[in-house]
Amino acid sequence: MAKPTVLQRSQRRFAYSIMTPIMIYMMIFSLIPMIWAVILGFFDYSPARVGGSWFGLGESNPFVGLKNYIAMFGDSQPANVFRKSVYNTFMFALIVLPLNLAITLPLAIIIERSHARIKGFFRAVYFLPTVTSAVAVALIWGAIYNPQAGLLSSLIRELGMIPPKAWLSDPRAYVMGIPLAMLALIVTHLWQDFGYNLVIFIAALQGIPQNLREAAMVDGANEQQLFWYVTLPLLQPTMLFVSVMTMLSSLQMFVLAQVMTDGGPREQTTTILMSVYQNAFRYQNMGWAAAMSLVLFGIIMVFTVVQFRLLRSDWEY
Amino acid sequence: MRTAARVLWLVLVFVLVSCGASAPAAQDGTSGEKVTIRMWSHQNSAFNKVNQELIDQFMKENPNIEVKYETFPYDQFIQTLQTSMPAGTEADVIEMFGSWVCNYAEGGRLQEAPAEMMSYAEAEQIFYKAPLDGYYCDGKLYGMPNEFNLEYGGALVNPVLYEQAGIPFPPTYNDYNALITDAKKMTAADNGAMSVAGFHFSGGDALGFILMSGILEQGGNYFAEDGQHFNFNSPESLNVIRTLTRYAQEDKVIDPVLFGGDNGLPGAFFNGQVGIGYIGSWAAGVGKVDYPDVKFDYVTLPPMFGSEYKFVADAGWGKVVSVNTKHSAEAWKLQKYLTANRDNALKFNQITGTIPALKELVDNPNDILAVAPWIKPTFALLPYGMYLGNVTDRDQLFYEIIAKNLTDALTGSVTPEEAAAKINDEANAMVDAKLSK
Repeated sequence: MAKPTVLQRSQRRFAYSIMTPIMIYMMIFSLIPMIWAVILGFFDYSPARVGGSWFGLGESNPFVGLKNYIAMFGDSQPANVFRKSVYNTFMFALIVLPLNLAITLPLAIIIERSHARIKGFFRAVYFLPTVTSAVAVALIWGAIYNPQAGLLSSLIRELGMIPPKAWLSDPRAYVMGIPLAMLALIVTHLWQDFGYNLVIFIAALQGIPQNLREAAMVDGANEQQLFWYVTLPLLQPTMLFVSVMTMLSSLQMFVLAQVMTDGGPREQTTTILMSVYQNAFRYQNMGWAAAMSLVLFGIIMVFTVVQFRLLRSDWEY
Repeated sequence: MRTAARVLWLVLVFVLVSCGASAPAAQDGTSGEKVTIRMWSHQNSAFNKVNQELIDQFMKENPNIEVKYETFPYDQFIQTLQTSMPAGTEADVIEMFGSWVCNYAEGGRLQEAPAEMMSYAEAEQIFYKAPLDGYYCDGKLYGMPNEFNLEYGGALVNPVLYEQAGIPFPPTYNDYNALITDAKKMTAADNGAMSVAGFHFSGGDALGFILMSGILEQGGNYFAEDGQHFNFNSPESLNVIRTLTRYAQEDKVIDPVLFGGDNGLPGAFFNGQVGIGYIGSWAAGVGKVDYPDVKFDYVTLPPMFGSEYKFVADAGWGKVVSVNTKHSAEAWKLQKYLTANRDNALKFNQITGTIPALKELVDNPNDILAVAPWIKPTFALLPYGMYLGNVTDRDQLFYEIIAKNLTDALTGSVTPEEAAAKINDEANAMVDAKLSK
């Protein structure tokens, strides 16, 4: 193996000097907490108890092996809430993803084809909610959903119809088998989130070489065929990215539910992350919360791998 | 490459060692040199104001002790406590809610009060038992309360709604039939949805306290014979749930779907949407500060069941000392100064508008009533209160079990019998889960 030159050594030093701070940052604030969460998942750990001498583990915070994970299949109230939160999280993510794509892709195509002047305007308008604080969004939509004085109920009444009794707090209100409170959260989340995917789709559409479309048009393809046989296949890598990112953000749904419904009514909007937070910081069951967070990690990993397999693309341009 | 990796590891080890290193050994205060202690509390303008004033006064009287007072938003305060305690970096003196104390004390996070400072027998002489017992765990005293937290036996009443309904104000109620009659007159709907609740009692705290106090009023007990498990399936418990369900379903004085969550008390009351709001007198203090233009009164309610007051209380805010303090003597000196000193306790209750935990302040009430007159109706009730006891996990029991299942009964989703059975099963499952650990 050839000895590195002075230049190579200097380049490496530069690279390491740049990487070292961020590596240390990542280790302290990401890697170590992740390892700690894995360890806590095997303990009945509460920060309210002193425990053993090694980071408070052992003694009054005993090692329980897989007990936390086995308890998830039990009949206790926390286990029931956890299973419901998993169901809610899946329902939320699986509704949000297709709806998001169904809104953003056609809208991106329309905006991409519009005049350059208004293109920037619409891109900015749709992107604004994405950079707005989630708490602010939750408060605004909470006011919109207010059953007595909210904009939505007032509008429905103006149209001569009868609004639901309550958008966010009626446990008996369902639409097509989905709790109304969950649907209200989905609408809010879509409103806040779709601008991000929209911008990505617009950028991807602009990146498709014009000559491919022209070649198809020479071969007699109409607009519909251009979309299905040229645009859509070439967007597959972008679809993969957008799907994975949307699924990730949906599975980690927290702020909107925490502020707008606090998980209610009757845990109909309790997500896994809410359950983790409540158990860790409200009920001080950090071992149980850590085990739940690891399950969420596993779920996200499985979803991501499946999406990568299903949407893998051989196209390059 | 190898050198770079070594450097990386060295830096990492240095950072970790720096983070984990303990602070320089502090003076123990016995040498006569000035010592510094810290006190933590949650952020509440009235609480913070009076604490700071009393600390400044304490430092003047004790020039060799410096007290650093730090406050945190409520949610952040709880998280900070839970993350700092394992690291041993929490403050020496901590303002803590009574129902949290035994949880931390049993976990070894709090210091027992030194006998020379105050024994439980002495404390029992000067403090009301209900708030004090929140600080008394397994026969040991871990601190003292500043307030008697009361969520029972009183209600906010709205003079405007009484006038509109043609009912004399302020009202005097000898039984709940009269109250419900008035509440029905004040209840109003707009576009088919309830816009004014005549009688609001469906808050997360209120439902728990009504259920547990209602059982006591009828001569029952919510604890099972072993003192750890619960008995919420008793005839007394069922009677409470049936009565509350009747108020919501038949008398229709509240719609729990519309008057819950963000639309709960005290907000809904001060927004003019509630005629009678079942809540502790502390809510009147909130109203004075946050809604200075709203007219209201706070009145005593009769026992909901039977003729004698009997109720459970949730202790109240007070001060405890961390087990990790390096300045135990100074920390307890400050703790006692803030809670057991008559003048300082009075100042705390006057500024925060809370009910005194010190008996002396209620026995001679002129000073406190001059500033917080709305708490007067509660004074007659105080001797009848008892601490709610070791209920395993207070928040889980109140919010996740009682409030949710009782609300289901109020909305008609389940029968009172089903609600009682579910509360009983879930509460006992919570106890079993703790006992199995």
